[in-house]
Amino acid sequence: MTHYILKRFLLMFPTLFGVAVLIFLLLRVVPGDIVEVRFMAQGQYSSEAVMAIERAKLGLDKPLWQQFTTWMWGLLHLDFGVSMWTGAPITEELKLRFELSLQLAIMATVVATLLAIPLGILAAVKQDTWIDYAVRVFSIAGLAMPSFWLGILMILAMLIIFKWLPPMVFTSFWVNPWENLAQLIWPALAVGYRYSAVATRMMRSAMLEVLREDYIRTARAKGLWLKLILSRHALKNAMLPVITVIGLEFAFLMGGLVVTEQVFSLNGLGMLFVEAISHRDYTLTQALVLIVASVFIFVNFATDIAYAWLDPRIRYR
Amino acid sequence: MAVTKETLESIARAGKPRARWLQATYDFARQRPLGAIGAMMILVMVLVALTANWLAPYDALTTDYGAMLSAPNAQHWLGTDTFGRDVYSRMVFGSRTALIVGLGASFIGATFGALIGVASAYFGGRIDMIVQRIMDVLISFPLIILALAVVAILGTGLQNVIFAIAIPMIPRCARVVRSSALAVREMPYVDAARAAGFTDARIVLRHMLPNVMAPYLIMLTAFLGQAILLEASLSFLGLGVQEPVAAWGLMLRGAAIEFAETAPWMGFFPGLAISLAVFGFNLFGDSLRDALDPRLRTQ
Amino acid sequence: MMKQLVGFLAVVAGALFAIPLQAQTPQYGGELVFTVPSEPPSYDGPREQTFGLIHPIAPHYNTLLRVDPTDPTGTKPIGDIAESWTESSDHLTFTFKLRRGVKFHDGDEMTSKDVKASYDKIIFPPEGVASVRKATYLVVKEVEAPDPYTIRFKLKWPSGAFLQSLASPWNFIYKADILAKDMHWYESHIMGTGPFTFVEHVKGSHWVGKKNPNYWDKGKPYLDGYRALFVRSHSAQVAAVRGERSLTQFRSFTPADKEALTNAMGDKIKFQESAWDCILLVAINHTKKPFDDKRVRRALSLALDRWSAAETLSKIAIVKDVAGIQVPGTPWATPPEELKKLTGYWPDIDKSRAEARRLLKEAGVPEGFTFTFYNRGTPMPYEPLAIWLIDQWRQVGLNVKQQVVEAAAYYGTVLRKPDAFDVAMDFQCGYIVEPDLDIYKFISHDKNDDNYGYYTDRVLDELYEKQSRATDAAERTRYLRQFERRLLDEEAHYLMTLQWHRIIPQNARVHGWQITPSHYLNNQLDTVWLSK
Repeated sequence: MTHYILKRFLLMFPTLFGVAVLIFLLLRVVPGDIVEVRFMAQGQYSSEAVMAIERAKLGLDKPLWQQFTTWMWGLLHLDFGVSMWTGAPITEELKLRFELSLQLAIMATVVATLLAIPLGILAAVKQDTWIDYAVRVFSIAGLAMPSFWLGILMILAMLIIFKWLPPMVFTSFWVNPWENLAQLIWPALAVGYRYSAVATRMMRSAMLEVLREDYIRTARAKGLWLKLILSRHALKNAMLPVITVIGLEFAFLMGGLVVTEQVFSLNGLGMLFVEAISHRDYTLTQALVLIVASVFIFVNFATDIAYAWLDPRIRYR
Repeated sequence: MAVTKETLESIARAGKPRARWLQATYDFARQRPLGAIGAMMILVMVLVALTANWLAPYDALTTDYGAMLSAPNAQHWLGTDTFGRDVYSRMVFGSRTALIVGLGASFIGATFGALIGVASAYFGGRIDMIVQRIMDVLISFPLIILALAVVAILGTGLQNVIFAIAIPMIPRCARVVRSSALAVREMPYVDAARAAGFTDARIVLRHMLPNVMAPYLIMLTAFLGQAILLEASLSFLGLGVQEPVAAWGLMLRGAAIEFAETAPWMGFFPGLAISLAVFGFNLFGDSLRDALDPRLRTQ
Repeated sequence: MMKQLVGFLAVVAGALFAIPLQAQTPQYGGELVFTVPSEPPSYDGPREQTFGLIHPIAPHYNTLLRVDPTDPTGTKPIGDIAESWTESSDHLTFTFKLRRGVKFHDGDEMTSKDVKASYDKIIFPPEGVASVRKATYLVVKEVEAPDPYTIRFKLKWPSGAFLQSLASPWNFIYKADILAKDMHWYESHIMGTGPFTFVEHVKGSHWVGKKNPNYWDKGKPYLDGYRALFVRSHSAQVAAVRGERSLTQFRSFTPADKEALTNAMGDKIKFQESAWDCILLVAINHTKKPFDDKRVRRALSLALDRWSAAETLSKIAIVKDVAGIQVPGTPWATPPEELKKLTGYWPDIDKSRAEARRLLKEAGVPEGFTFTFYNRGTPMPYEPLAIWLIDQWRQVGLNVKQQVVEAAAYYGTVLRKPDAFDVAMDFQCGYIVEPDLDIYKFISHDKNDDNYGYYTDRVLDELYEKQSRATDAAERTRYLRQFERRLLDEEAHYLMTLQWHRIIPQNARVHGWQITPSHYLNNQLDTVWLSK
């Protein structure tokens, strides 16, 4: 087991390195650079001479390998460097946004789980009845609506019906939980509903499988709900894929809520990413991609370990 | 190829293919009414796209500043937009864009993904290891972020949007197909083909690929809805298909949001169209997945 | 019907009372919350070009001169920390008397050495320091500080626009001691003399300033403080004003927003509107055939029905007035009646289009000729204007395809690459309405990196020089009209679309702020106050 964990742990690093190389190169291939964005986008006078000085200041005139090694060297010291756009340390840029994104991801995951587990069980127990169909239609409908559309409808509804708008500025949960929840509960609902769809279907099929187990089938006479209680043990194993899906979605939520953050005007990692890329802020984009990818890779690692722990055969695969 | 019992059977069956298809369709519809409803919705969408020229009373691009922002009326059934363009006609033509983007992106994404997955499983060893690491790298990028980067590099426009949506799908499909292909690789007929001296390319394409059709189709249908949604999201961020092309995602952004209260028809109907189309694809895909492989669960 | 009528009367009444209301006695207190659809990259005014810096940061600083905050044309310079000034008879020396008792937020007194250090950094930057505004002050030979309360600018040649350039909202007065230690300090810190002191900047979220109790202009500011919220999404900004989570926004809202907010908020919202010193231009690449032919360029201009677009596009986009080289309604602008004589500005569109077709035919451009129009991927107002342009050109037999390029890549891959495009959207925006700044863009390409028509026109260059050095207003007007006719009519080097139009929403509680044609001006907030 220790050997497997170690092997699996070490495997994370080539992947992360690959992510680093890929984003570094991708950014340099993308046309446009930060100095052009900064000095030409406002419709005012801009001279090539001034832009050359700025490029030199940012180190963009150095050869690519040199830029890459500088970045890597910094990373080895856990130093992300400074944002090219604002000149502030990247850790400072990330602090608040990370907190918001993390909290939103957690809240959305909670919403998704609270919806998915009971609905999935219900649909499985009542398989092929109208209840099953209703649950599936409800969850698939969540997947079908464009998230920005749902968000805009929610905001308009709040404005028109309640004449109220969620707070515009993020307040940490530890400072003022009420204000904090008043802002984040709406996007968490919108996102959680959407993400519950996959987990619901997973829960349903896992449940169906459990219900098909022999010893449960024999308990048919004792009533459906009793079967559920009997199957608690089996359910634990069946839950694994559900947990995997929820875990992976959690990882996606950390950086993938670009559109939702825009609609609800949230100051999170997704918006920061869009901004960083539209400014061609290389250092910030690189740091963001690495962080989001790390979360994803780590969640992946953790679920693999969990699988291996529960099902020893995997280790020898 | 030697004549086997199976080929003989298939030749025998070829005589009355229609009856068999009808039967399968009927079974599917009876056992999975939701899937059948989804299929109906897709069919309607395809028909609308094919007959757009007849269905649409106006050209999708013609502007008419005299009629701008008209509410739904006898001339313009679903009203007009800020340029006086007929919303209904643009929606009808927009179904083409949605289908082209949806089918194009999911077909490219799933097919390349399946090829990579099968090849990776077939060759195994070091190649498999390297391919899997590359797929890991790609999959660690959030979907929309990878799409954003691709659009930034390639530029906007219909084809580039298709690529931007397809590329993030490749590793996801490759991973699922590979796990199925690993089992297929152990099948005796693959060994036999190898012993018979067939080229690797032939074995992968002719012997292994057809046997991972189930996960391939499942991924393909799952991607279809996602692709349409992703296109709308990219359009919302200004990185999708560009004006004046008729596309649902485009119709939902910008002016549609500004005028959400004063001219709600501009955005409401395209939003509904997207939702219904994606709903149909998902409903169908969901049932197809149940029908083809109830055990295939993880993406 | 009755309800609408009442609503209408309320609006009219509101507009009538708007002026008397402004004249009310200002009330003290309150926090002005406003949204900013951008964010300051660094904090250094002279280094940046975005309103995202001006809106939250301008209240911390003073400039030598400022544009009169009550002047709707935004062209009249008055003293800010300069109390008065004199101009020598040869127009080559400007001497400014500074106010006494102006204190930095750390308590130190501001003197002429601070003004000199601030301007030296802009005009004569040391090695390795980029100054984007150096080109604006090429005329300055030297800045002198003969005594603590006097500052003197010596010029190389007479300049009619020099005072305006000193009213630039970017040129914050910094502390000389700090600049001497670190030229880059102000990129990440605030230390000014302005009406508000710095409280905090939460990245991506908001900026807070509070009243400077020791402000030199006694009695000001009225507000206890202000809070700038950085909100990218336009719909979120509109929602914020509507939900009264924000009281105003200083860039612009759209005509649709105005309608929606008026319907929803009634007399709790008011608007100020003005022509805006920004305009989208059509850059026609003179190095490409057939666009090297002025008949083709003139035809492109003649195809545009500008006068009716002013009616229709103004309902859906932030554009309105038909314009020449100056913002309509400002001192140097050509009046509409005269403008109508220029090619492409004729009121009779049928005659105009017929002439366009004739010119195209004469130049050998076939019916259905196809070219690509490059546009920048910024929705408002690029997108509606491009759709309009393409449709207008279609009506004279040109088949134009649009290619949209992501905003960040637009200049680098399109405009700055003469081989890359035929015809493209270009943009010009000024911080003050002043011909020297507004028309510099159009002088020959070999003298100016921002000319994307890639032409050389010495006649135009000469007219620019002449108008710039003219110290007599009538003389300058004459040169400007000649410049305009040559640029837009005879040569049709560049095409003007419609002037941008600025619509500022204000919660009814906001007073003491006057709109100008520039979203870079009038943001010190010293005159703004809130009613209870």
